[in-house]
Amino acid sequence: MKHTQLGEFEELVLLVVGSLHENAYSISIKAELKEKTKRNPSIGALHSALNRLEKKGFITSYEGGATTERGGRRKRFYQITAFGRKALDQSYELRSSLYHTLPNIGYAGK
Amino acid sequence: MLGNEEGKRKTPPKWPDKFLGWFCHEDHLEILRGDVYELYEEHIETMPKWKADLLFILNILGLCRPFVFKRKSQNSIHIAMFRNYFKVTYRNFIKQKVYSMLNISGLAIGLACAILIFIYISDELSYDKFHSKSDRIYRVLEKFESEGVGEHSASLPFPTGPALKNDFGRQVEHAVRFFNFQSPSLALANKAADKGFNESSIFFADSTFFDVFDFELIEGDKETALDDPNSILITRSMAKKYFVDDDPMGKTLEFQGDQNLMITGILEDSPKNAHFQFDFIVSFSSLKASFGGSYPTSWYWNPCWTYIVLEENTKPSDLLGQFPDFVQKYFPDFVKDDIELQLQPVEDIHLTSKLDYEIAANSDMKNVYIFGMVAVFVLIIAAINFIYLSTARANKRAKEVGVRKALGSAKSQLINQFIFESILLTFTSLLIGVFIVILILPGFNALTEKTVPISILLEPLFLFNLIGAGLIIGLLSGFYPAFVLSSFKTVSVLKGGHLKINGMNFRRILVTAQFSISIMLIIGTFIVLKQLDFLQSKDAGFDDENIVMVPVIQSPMGQHYENFKIAALQSPHISSMTAVEEIVGAKYQVGNYLFEGMEESKPFPRFNVRHDFVSTMNIPLAAGRAYDQTIQTDDSLALIVNETLVHSMGWDTPQEAVGKRFNFRGELKGRIVGVVEDYNFASKHYPIAPLVITLNTRPRAFNLFIKYVAIKIDGTQTKTAIADLERAWVSVLPDRPFDFFFLDDRINDSYKSEMKLSDITVIFSTLAILVACLGLFGLATFSVEQRTKEIGVRKVLGINTSQIMLLLSREFMVLIGIAFLIAIPLAYYSLNEWLNDFAFRIDIQIWPFILAGAMTFFISAITVAFHALKASYINPTETLKSE
Repeated sequence: MKHTQLGEFEELVLLVVGSLHENAYSISIKAELKEKTKRNPSIGALHSALNRLEKKGFITSYEGGATTERGGRRKRFYQITAFGRKALDQSYELRSSLYHTLPNIGYAGK
Repeated sequence: MLGNEEGKRKTPPKWPDKFLGWFCHEDHLEILRGDVYELYEEHIETMPKWKADLLFILNILGLCRPFVFKRKSQNSIHIAMFRNYFKVTYRNFIKQKVYSMLNISGLAIGLACAILIFIYISDELSYDKFHSKSDRIYRVLEKFESEGVGEHSASLPFPTGPALKNDFGRQVEHAVRFFNFQSPSLALANKAADKGFNESSIFFADSTFFDVFDFELIEGDKETALDDPNSILITRSMAKKYFVDDDPMGKTLEFQGDQNLMITGILEDSPKNAHFQFDFIVSFSSLKASFGGSYPTSWYWNPCWTYIVLEENTKPSDLLGQFPDFVQKYFPDFVKDDIELQLQPVEDIHLTSKLDYEIAANSDMKNVYIFGMVAVFVLIIAAINFIYLSTARANKRAKEVGVRKALGSAKSQLINQFIFESILLTFTSLLIGVFIVILILPGFNALTEKTVPISILLEPLFLFNLIGAGLIIGLLSGFYPAFVLSSFKTVSVLKGGHLKINGMNFRRILVTAQFSISIMLIIGTFIVLKQLDFLQSKDAGFDDENIVMVPVIQSPMGQHYENFKIAALQSPHISSMTAVEEIVGAKYQVGNYLFEGMEESKPFPRFNVRHDFVSTMNIPLAAGRAYDQTIQTDDSLALIVNETLVHSMGWDTPQEAVGKRFNFRGELKGRIVGVVEDYNFASKHYPIAPLVITLNTRPRAFNLFIKYVAIKIDGTQTKTAIADLERAWVSVLPDRPFDFFFLDDRINDSYKSEMKLSDITVIFSTLAILVACLGLFGLATFSVEQRTKEIGVRKVLGINTSQIMLLLSREFMVLIGIAFLIAIPLAYYSLNEWLNDFAFRIDIQIWPFILAGAMTFFISAITVAFHALKASYINPTETLKSE
């Protein structure tokens, strides 16, 4: 199932899109990512990821109305799809199940 | 929020945005634009403008990602466009067959010429570069001159090679010597199969042969093949000649009838792009047999071509600096102050070397330049044709352009279309050109004595150049028409009516340029031909016709010469016989003489002869007498010199020279008995120098100092004379193959480089003129078509045919007149430069110029008249009604 594969950056973006609810568009996603992960992706990289996610069906998008900011240009808003949500769930489950198989932390430190 | 007014004050630079618009797919453009602007607005609040601008630019550059680019749908539009361009090109091609054929065939011929010349030049430049050490191989030269008289020799004394290796061991990696008795041919025989021939390419070479040169050995061991005395390597084709299908390895060949050589290896035939060709390589140590058991030790006689390989990181100058001491150390006292050793890169030999005793006649760098220029000229002419024929078609295409424009074609799209057409036509011509090359390459090879395979057309570099050239020519020649055509005003084009084409002046310039070049080529061709004819036919001061030369070096002829002469002269068709050292009028040797009044001996060109030399060659005497068979002392105590020597000695008259004493190699020898008038004893590339003609009747002289018997025969009875001569030969030397050639043929070999030049310039100039005429034909067609209506009106008003001709041709004639005026000084200057290199040259006369002008004028007049005539037959009602 190639479709469900999520890259690390893609997963982050997908999570942010989900968490921003109605206000997920490129700049806000970028700001959120910067704040939460301390990394500052270029909008090129971000759009690239968003584009891939949309192609894989994890998110959908719609264009908002024109506003006076951005020189009167429209924004594209993103929403997570049920499929995207499921992918995140699966990813989370996989990670936590693997995490639980780890021995004790103290053992690792020995 | 940022106010609008404030935002206007601080705006990012415009060009990155434009750039974004250029590469970005429309689906994404608005959103992405919005993003970068929003970010910019954010940044401008918190940081200086330059930084925000920079980030703006970086953001946009960061957007260059695959998904953003224009593609797919856009691409299919492009494909559709190209398909459309293609269709339009094709339709226009069909619709205007005459133009198109003129266009394409002219360019195809031009390209074929250029390709052939390119092949020729690249082959010329490739000489001797196939050796892996070629950049370190040098030929050592000996300049042996005193006061401008002497020789500049490609060969050295026997001991020089080993001495160089010995004295300069750290700079000289290898040295190899070649020797061939300086004989035009040597005899070899496969006794077992009873096959014997006189071979012209036998060389003796040191066992280091393969250390220096990368010749291929098919059978045998490179390390040891030339180690033992009496070893011989033969080439593949010679193996075929002497042994047919047998394996020659280990078999023996008989050399000069007395020495058996064992075959220790089979060589690949020597590559054509080597400055000398060999058929046989004999181990150097085999020579000892010919010189009484050891190598000659003389540092005076210089018959060995000597090549050295310099160690890596050794510069030739390192060695050159030490040569003077080397010369002082080894060369004999009476010559060492006149000798200079030089180094010549092996790669330079073929194109630049013109020394005494070259192994084979070399080519000339100048020819490479001239051919290169001819190629460029032909290409320019062809490209000019292409350009103005394309522009001339403009008015035919005007409607199309108008419609396209009305339908919303951008100017850039029209330019694209026309350039596409031009490139397409260029490549079609290129294909045809390559096809022509394939057809005539064998003939071209025969003409230029090369063996360039057709497969050269498939070599990557060649293909790359070809495609590159096609693109460049296509672009260049498409550019101008594209701009002219795309600049038509839509309205005026669609309205029809009078279409003024702006390109006329530009086309006039092109036609003039083209005809200037053609006229220059014609003048050049005439003058090159004339000079060659002059070199070959100018009276050399002796008779070179009906002289048969028979090579006799290293043969037992020495003992039999007198008998041979008696037997031969019995034939009524043989009038006179002598024997000579070298080919009269092409080669000579040098000897040191001291004449009365000189302090030290000096090297003079010298020529060993037998009796009757002066009478056989028909050289007039200026004073004194010729050698006389009845005067025994002539052999060593008499000399004949030429007039130039008399002058150079400061003697007033030839009469004064007779009786002067001379001294040869230290001993007082005798007196000058005769003075001959000057004759060209070397080729006419060189001025006549002082010359000493010395009688040498010793039988042993036939080993070295006498190489040919020269026989004057009756020119009307050539066949019988030669049959009689052969009979005489068989009567004295029944075991030796009889061989001969005509003196004038061999002298003409000296002018091979000029002959090739004239052959090739004639061919390519003719083609260039043909191409130019194709262009003129097209242009005339165009000009007539444009003026049919005018002619119609004029006819109604009563103009007659000759007036129409005048009307149409006047302009071309003016242009050709201007072209003629431009061509004259350019041609005169460059040809004068070329001629200055010949010691004997023609003066540039007026007639080639006038003839070239007249020819061009005449050819163009015919071309234009043809059209004028056609135009005069047009029925005015036809042309006038079709509005």
